[in-house]
Amino acid sequence: MVAELTKNERQGALVILLALAVTGLAMAAGGRGDPFGIHGAMVLVAAIVGIFAVIGGYYAPEPSPERLDSYYDSPTKFGIVAAMVWAVAGMAVGDWVAWLLAYPEWTFDAAWASFGRLRPVHTSGVIFGFGGNALIATSFYVMQRTSRARLPDQLTPWFVLFGYNLFCVIAATGYLMGVTQSKEYAEPEWYADIWLVIVWVTYFVLYLRTLNRRKEPHIYVSNWYYLAFILVVAMLHIVNNLAVPISWGSAKSYSLFSGVQDAMTEWWYGHNAVAFFLTSGFLGMMYYYMPKRAGRPIYSYRMSIISFWGITFFYMWAGSHHLHYTALPQWVQSLGMTFSVMLLVPSWVSAGNALMTLNGAWHKVRDDAVLRFMMVAAVFYGLSTFEGSFMAIRPVNSLSHYTDWTVGHVHAGALGWVAMITFGAIYASVPWLWKRNGMYSAKLVEAHFWLSLAGTIIYVFAMWNSGIIQGLMWRTYNESGTLAYSFVDSLVAMHPYYIARAIGGAFFLLGAIIGLYNIWMTIRTASQDQAAQNVADRPVTEPAIGAPALQPGE
Amino acid sequence: MFGFHYRLERKTIGLVLGIIGVASIGGLVEIAPLFTIHQTVEDAPDMRVYTPLELAGRNIYIREGCYACHSQMIRTLRDEVERYGPYSLAVESKYDHPMLWGSKRTGPDLARLGEKYSDDWHVAHMINPRAVVPESVMPSYAFLQRTELRTDDLSDHLKAQRKVGVPYTDDMIANAAADAYGQAAPDSPAADGVTKRYGKATTVRAFDGKPTDLTEMDALVAYLQILGRLTDAAHKPVATAEKKP
Amino acid sequence: MTITHDLLVWFSKSFGLFYLIGLSLIVVVYAYWPANQKPFNAAAQAILHDDDDKPYRG
Ligand code: HEM
Ligand code: HEM
Repeated sequence: MVAELTKNERQGALVILLALAVTGLAMAAGGRGDPFGIHGAMVLVAAIVGIFAVIGGYYAPEPSPERLDSYYDSPTKFGIVAAMVWAVAGMAVGDWVAWLLAYPEWTFDAAWASFGRLRPVHTSGVIFGFGGNALIATSFYVMQRTSRARLPDQLTPWFVLFGYNLFCVIAATGYLMGVTQSKEYAEPEWYADIWLVIVWVTYFVLYLRTLNRRKEPHIYVSNWYYLAFILVVAMLHIVNNLAVPISWGSAKSYSLFSGVQDAMTEWWYGHNAVAFFLTSGFLGMMYYYMPKRAGRPIYSYRMSIISFWGITFFYMWAGSHHLHYTALPQWVQSLGMTFSVMLLVPSWVSAGNALMTLNGAWHKVRDDAVLRFMMVAAVFYGLSTFEGSFMAIRPVNSLSHYTDWTVGHVHAGALGWVAMITFGAIYASVPWLWKRNGMYSAKLVEAHFWLSLAGTIIYVFAMWNSGIIQGLMWRTYNESGTLAYSFVDSLVAMHPYYIARAIGGAFFLLGAIIGLYNIWMTIRTASQDQAAQNVADRPVTEPAIGAPALQPGE
Repeated sequence: MFGFHYRLERKTIGLVLGIIGVASIGGLVEIAPLFTIHQTVEDAPDMRVYTPLELAGRNIYIREGCYACHSQMIRTLRDEVERYGPYSLAVESKYDHPMLWGSKRTGPDLARLGEKYSDDWHVAHMINPRAVVPESVMPSYAFLQRTELRTDDLSDHLKAQRKVGVPYTDDMIANAAADAYGQAAPDSPAADGVTKRYGKATTVRAFDGKPTDLTEMDALVAYLQILGRLTDAAHKPVATAEKKP
Repeated sequence: MTITHDLLVWFSKSFGLFYLIGLSLIVVVYAYWPANQKPFNAAAQAILHDDDDKPYRG
């Protein structure tokens, strides 16, 4: 990896890592006796490992200018593997906490192992670790291909990826130590938030620099979605995380907002995290990989643009549907409800556009599990957005809010849409990236597909059932006009569904593990071939004309 | 060459500005009025701030992720009011940085939990929830009883709270650690300071049953016992949150 | 100063509608603008055949 950097970039990397090491040291010294100090030590160790790696490769020959004749894909490769590792880790924790809700004693008598601390490890692990790495990795891939431009340098993409993963590790280990702001999906504390801002701005600038080197004046629509993801997430992240730390040596901070304002800010953030992290970015992914895999252009390019602006516009208003019947003023609730219902239009236009793209390629969908992943993702996207708009209607929400129905909705979107489109995109890119004809085992892809689909269906149906039962039990009256069930009654009724959910989750997890194995084996066989080829190449003198990396390709 | 690139740049920048514009206006228009809400919302002159011990307990509640399973927001629905008590008012969480309304009820709502159960019940429940509610799926928090409460930084906590708008006095900030100790040790000299600074109604008790040592259990139980009791605005004939047009 | 709050709320409630209509018009006009069809179609097709899978160097 270091060998791919130029001399200047190696020096730049050293400077960055030194600065990071100093920061880590200062944090460790200032935060003794506090989790803040432990995080400082982790930053320091990460920086030192990095420094050794760079020094180890410092005197390697510089990369040849021929590199500029090919896309820079090493960061994408790293990001894809990282995404799969996070997927397995995050879902394993998810399934563990799922079992904990059925059998609460299946844990250790230790603070870190309680449900409340593990749950954000799951949510951040899958959303930011798995989803985030997949988005960054595929965005690098897509922006280079659609712009016909190589990344402008070799250092920045690595900074973005390593920096981002450092953020994820700080976040996850923080929860285990009890470091959290308690704001859902924005749990990491102030120092992690500041670090993410630095990484994110770098990512944004990198995206623009690459786009500005493009060949065609028109920017392919995938990039619009990716750009909206990057920009709006930055905006949301900065505003929602404004806080005052209690001291420079402590992890703890207090949010600038309180009460109603905080609730509205948090769900403006929370809902748009769904919109721009879990939707916009993945739509960008879909609009590249699905046409490419199906060998057909997007059904309606115009519609993809119209729904882009629709989504960017409508989502911003919808956050207050998380606060129906609360102390939030009612006009805000009504506004949120109205816009959430209208949001269905651009959402279904997107889902329909995706499915129509496959029209005429159904035989491919039948034979190719990768394309099938993408097709099912589009279906679940349509399903969960319909469900979301429905749940945003106040009377419906009065039943669904606070119940497992919400959790079912979340996972219809998360498993059915986000994870499926990602698996599809990853299975499509791995052979392209590692120059193989296909995955190591097509059978295993097929197995992964069916496990995912079965897992999702079991999960979602279990939660729909339990959520609706729960909601109804809470509001049922008996003849004498008093509430018919105690809270504990409803809890007992959930038990079988919690077991079913945990089993469905185990299917899904097993699929992800198989996927990771399959990807790993594809890479391994690729590098073995590569090694064999290198041996054969040896007698030839070094500067073989042409790009050595250009094999027949896909 | 320059002209070509210039044209490209203009396009990307246009796209970026378009996204920022379209995306930010909605949020602004919707959220901005909420920052003037104090003009119309009910007021609660009797409302007090959290004592240092309760604040520490609240931070434990956050640290352990209790909010992931318990809401603190009773909606304006008949069954909720009957099950949990008067619905929550905006003013009740005005000192909550951040708010803990929650979004999931794996366990029941806690907005009006204060003084519903005894301290002993809470301690037993936290040590082993299934000892008191056999069907419960809540984790055990036995370690709280074994862990001494950290008080040396409580003044910093109050100071930061004041920076974000909670009216702590200099006196409160200076005595934060002593007040935390005093609130859980009713017979100690420090106990008087607590009622002096936070009002007579403040509960001063050995929350975890042991007045001698100050544990995280003390703090958490103190917090649970104050939930819904910082003001009794919600129990008064209700002021409507929104003026009729 | 109660006017401020009421004024802001009034603005929020009415503005959204006009904004919605205005923006939708602009977007639809842009998407259907005849001169834009060529680049759109070209873009939709372009990603399918990158047989020469390498960056362009001008
Ligand atoms: C193996 C698969 C998975 C299992 C078994 C699983 C399990 C769980 C469980 C048990 C919860 C807690 C629910 C509660 O508190 O009642 C949860 C919450 C959540 N999970 Fe998963 N999960 C899985 C995959 C995913 C994936 C892939 C994503 C996202 C890409 C995801 C996103 C979330 C989110 C956002 C929440 C919070 C929901 C809320 O607050 O309403 N999960 N999951
Ligand atoms: C038209 C699109 C959508 C609308 C209108 C919508 C609406 C809603 C509503 C009404 C809730 C329940 C809020 C509550 O009662 O607490 C909700 C929760 C949620 N939705 Fe959606 N949804 C949409 C699409 C999606 C998609 C595609 C995902 C992707 C994964 C998603 C992820 C979530 C998550 C994570 C939550 C849980 C938030 C929490 O922690 O409470 N939504 N959504």
